[in-house]
Parts: sequence; structure tokens; C-alpha cells
Amino acid sequence: MKLDPSALAKLLAGRRIAMVSGTNGKTTTTHLLNAAIRTWADRHAPGVGVVTNADGANLHHGIASALSAAPDADIAVLETDERVVADVVRLGHPEVLVMLNFSRDQLDRNHEIKRLARMWREALRTAGADGPVVVANADEPLIVWACRDARQVVWVDTGSTWTADASLCPECGAVLHRSDDGRWSCPACGLAEPDATWQVVGGSITGPDGTTYEPQLQLPGRFNLANAACALAAAVEFGVDTDSALTGMATVTAPAGRFATVTFGDTTARLLLAKNPAGWAEALPLAATPTVVLAIDAAAADGRDVSWLWDVDYEQLQGRTVIATGPRAQDLAVRLSYAGVEHRVVPDLLAALQGHREPVDVVATYTPFQRLRKAAGI
Amino acid sequence: MSAPVHIVLLYQSLLGIYGDQGNARVLQRRLEWRDIPSRLTVVEPGDPVPDDAQVYLLGGGEDNAQVSAVRALQADGGLHRAVDRGAAVLAVCAGYQIAGRTFTIGDDDTVIDGLGLLDVTTTRAPERAVGEILTKWIGHDGDEAWLTGFENHGGHTRLAPGVTPLARVEIGVGNCGDGTEGAISGKVIGTYPHGPVLARNPALADHVLSLGLDQELAPLERPEIDQLRSERIAAVRASR
Repeated sequence: MKLDPSALAKLLAGRRIAMVSGTNGKTTTTHLLNAAIRTWADRHAPGVGVVTNADGANLHHGIASALSAAPDADIAVLETDERVVADVVRLGHPEVLVMLNFSRDQLDRNHEIKRLARMWREALRTAGADGPVVVANADEPLIVWACRDARQVVWVDTGSTWTADASLCPECGAVLHRSDDGRWSCPACGLAEPDATWQVVGGSITGPDGTTYEPQLQLPGRFNLANAACALAAAVEFGVDTDSALTGMATVTAPAGRFATVTFGDTTARLLLAKNPAGWAEALPLAATPTVVLAIDAAAADGRDVSWLWDVDYEQLQGRTVIATGPRAQDLAVRLSYAGVEHRVVPDLLAALQGHREPVDVVATYTPFQRLRKAAGI
Repeated sequence: MSAPVHIVLLYQSLLGIYGDQGNARVLQRRLEWRDIPSRLTVVEPGDPVPDDAQVYLLGGGEDNAQVSAVRALQADGGLHRAVDRGAAVLAVCAGYQIAGRTFTIGDDDTVIDGLGLLDVTTTRAPERAVGEILTKWIGHDGDEAWLTGFENHGGHTRLAPGVTPLARVEIGVGNCGDGTEGAISGKVIGTYPHGPVLARNPALADHVLSLGLDQELAPLERPEIDQLRSERIAAVRASR
């Protein structure tokens, strides 16, 4: 269902807007950026209100409903679905747009990820001199291609490791070259990884002037450090000082339930969300408990095709105990058999979480993740 | 002991969008479960395609990737030499299209020459076929004859007169809505149900292996796969 564009335009009007999009990390990065801007406003701009769509409702209606609940907020920090980016750029004239990454996701609906990139590129070209400053991931060829006509781009080297969706040059179709240090370039048309002004190096973030920041994140994993680098760069472009930004980001604990530790009866569980192969590649290594619960569904929001199970390296779970749950647990069970991973199938999601003496890490696709949040009351 | 069975997975970076590498894992593991040694070569564009393997796998990908893949395979020649020598090929989705005589890409329907391993031609379909598919494998009986999978393709493939389809469609689209699915020519099999189609269809997996090895394989009991097959077949029938 699509909202009347003029209604969304009215809700966006008169606000300073920062928006975040990409396949993975949208919700977390939005929370980090929101915390950075809020801390800055508290310290340096008293009375300035900040609104955000914190629960991941990132389509037209989700954005509209967050905005209409805060008519007086001067600043909006908006998580934006990839398909809605062009509309918000056109209607809301954002100051900053964060473009995190592009990878295969819900291919039953998004047949070609290039199509989304094309929409972004067109929106940024049309916006012209009125367009946002884009904070973009230099590691991703499709992102770089989508930004070619943007007014201004601040490049972030996030150290992305997922390259499976970036074999071909988005400009000319030639096979991309990757150097030993991971930098990509097209041998045919010359499109190449831009030099980044922000960089993730080890556990820290280096800024444009060479200053190194050590963000005290409460979120695990390399991927969240990359999200933090993008949020920090975006905050600075928005006029936020780095001290406020880092202080704010350090307060973020469990964005919309991600990485939250919850209890189900006697069981203590940490919730990890993984929506696609790139997301699983980041989340699965974080699942560290001897027993791991994996919850799989193929509802519309998960993508109806579970072929992606074969793009995830479940072999890394050999030697652990895996409980396969959710409506598509049996597809996972077959995948785990072929991976040589011991497992048992407990189709019912909440039953799978009962009776664990030791804490368990749970990795879930979107629909079971939301069910678990609800069941845990978070 | 004989030399390990050699399996070649072609161009994962171009033709691997739907978990297609799963087919290689399935074949290797099914050999291992029978104590038959195997080795896998993953070939990327620019690498020589070995022509001494028993089984070759082609998977799914986007338009530009198809063009890059077909050009690289034609320039290399290894796959054609292997087929002439009697190797088995499983070509899935976009891989099926490029194995044919011609296919088209883009909104302007540019015609691209395929590998010519199957006498089929693919053109743009009026509507994309996306969803669970159930077909009946021609020439096979019993439960194993049901082939279950997920199709997602924007092409219609037509078989030249005399070409044998792999299966008859019960639910879904298949080749072009004419009731046929896939194509067979010698030891080359093309099919639309994509990604790890062999995970859901172990009899087809063993058939591909027996084609490549020129020998029948002992049956395997894997209840978890039978369970998955009954679930998926029941689900697709219920959705009709």
C-alpha cells in the first residue's frame, strides 16, 4: 500500500533530515546516528527535537507514522527501505543519506539488485545540487556506481568482506579485478574503488584528518563497527561534533531487539537477526554458545525462496549442537545434514527455546525474529 | 582404489546467485556417504576449465553475468571437450538458458549465442515465473519421480522438435507454460528449478552422478530428505 506522496511530503517538510538505507545494518545504523544527533542536540542545541522510526518500520507508512507522532521535531533520522529511498530524497530533500551496502536479498521479489541501484542513481541525479551529501561504502561497486551523479560523496572504507554480489562492473559488465589488498577496479571502463576519507582499521575508525577514534560500542562484531563508521561520518556531515557522536553511539544496546539478551522461561537467549547470505556471514560467527538455535521462515518478509541456505557457511557449526526451528526448519535440517552438523528439529519456535541450562545464541530470519521479540516482550 | 570422482563447479561468481554451489555440496556428500572419494574444482572466468571431470555444474545468474559466462566458456572450450568425451552436465536456471542455442537479454531482447549443448532457445517471457514448482520426471516412477523446487526466471524456453523434456509440469510454469520442464540431450540436463535443486531431489542428484560415472549407485536412506520432500510437495499442492 502506498501513501499519498503529498501527505509524506508535508510530514517531511521543514525538518532537517538524515536517512539511512542499504540491504543490511539499516536499523542499527539508524539507531547509532539517532543517538549521535540526539546527544549533540542535548548538549549544544537545547530545545531541538529529534524523531526517528526506531522499530524498523521503514516503508512509506512506517516513516509517515513516526513523523506524524512528532510534528514539532526539527530533525528526522530515518531508516529507509531501499525501494523508498528515491521518494524520500525527492520529497524530503535530506541533508545526509547513508548508503551501507547492496547484496542479494529476497530475490523472489527483487529479481535484480542492480534495479534498486539504478533507482538510487536516478534519484540522486535528479536531485542535482539540491541532493544530499551521501555517506557511502566505497567497498561496494554497486554503491559507488549508484553515487556517480550525487552532488557530494563522503566515502567510507568499511572493510566489507562479502563480495559474492559484486563480480561484474555495474557500469559496463566486465569482470571486476580485485587486488591483493581487496581493492576493486574495472579493467574495461575504469570504474574503481574511490579513496575513502573514513576508514575502519582493526577495531578503530580513522577520520578525514587522520584522527583515530575508538568507539566504545555495546554492539558486537566487525559489521557493527562498519555501521558505526558510517554513522559517525554522517553525524559529522550533519554538523555533530565527534565527541557527542561517540558518546551517543556508545549508549546503543539492542536496536529493535538485535543482539538483545532475553529470557524464555529458564532459558537465557541472545537474539541475532540474519536476513540474507551477507547477513548470515556476519551473524553466524557471533553465535558462540555450545547450543545454537537457528530459526528459518519463508514468509513474504523473509523471502519465499530458501535457496540462500546453501550460500551460508553452516559448516562452521560442526561440533556444536544446533536446534533447527521455524516453519522451514526441515530445509535447514537437510542443509545441516549435508554440512555434517549435528542437529535436531523442533518446529515450534518457542518450544525450541525451552529448557536450556546454558545461555543460547539464536539466529533468526525476519519473521521468527519479530515473533521472538514479541514473545520476550521487547 | 579408483581416482576420485571429479566435479567442476563453473563460475560461482557469475552463476551462483541462488545458492547454486549447493548442488556441488550435495553431489560430493552423496558420494562420501557411499565411501566414494571425490574432488571439486571451482572454476572462475579466466581459469582453464578442466576437461577431464565427470560432472559439470552451471547455476543461476543475472543477464550480464550470463553473457560473461557464455563468452568465457566458449573461449575456453574445456566444457565442450568434456561433453564430447561423455561428461554429465547439470545446467540450472540461467545456466540452462546459456546451455541452449540462443537466449535474449535486456528490454531490447538482444539475442546471444548460447553454448549449443541443448537444442533449445530462450526468449523474454511476458511475465516472470516465480514460485514453488512441482513436476513429474519423465521415465521415472514412484515417489522419486516428483521433482520439487523453486523457479524464478524471466525467460521462456522452447525445445526444438525431438528434444526430450526433463519433466511434465504439475504446478508452476517450467519451460514456457506448455507443460514441459527442462531438457535432456545425451548426458546434458537443463532445468529451471534453481539453486540447490539436487538437495530436494536426491534421485536426480544420483542420476547426474550415475551419468557421469557410467554406473548405478547404491541407494541411500536419508529420512530428513524424505521428510522435506513430503513437506514441500504437500505445501505446493495446498497452495494451488
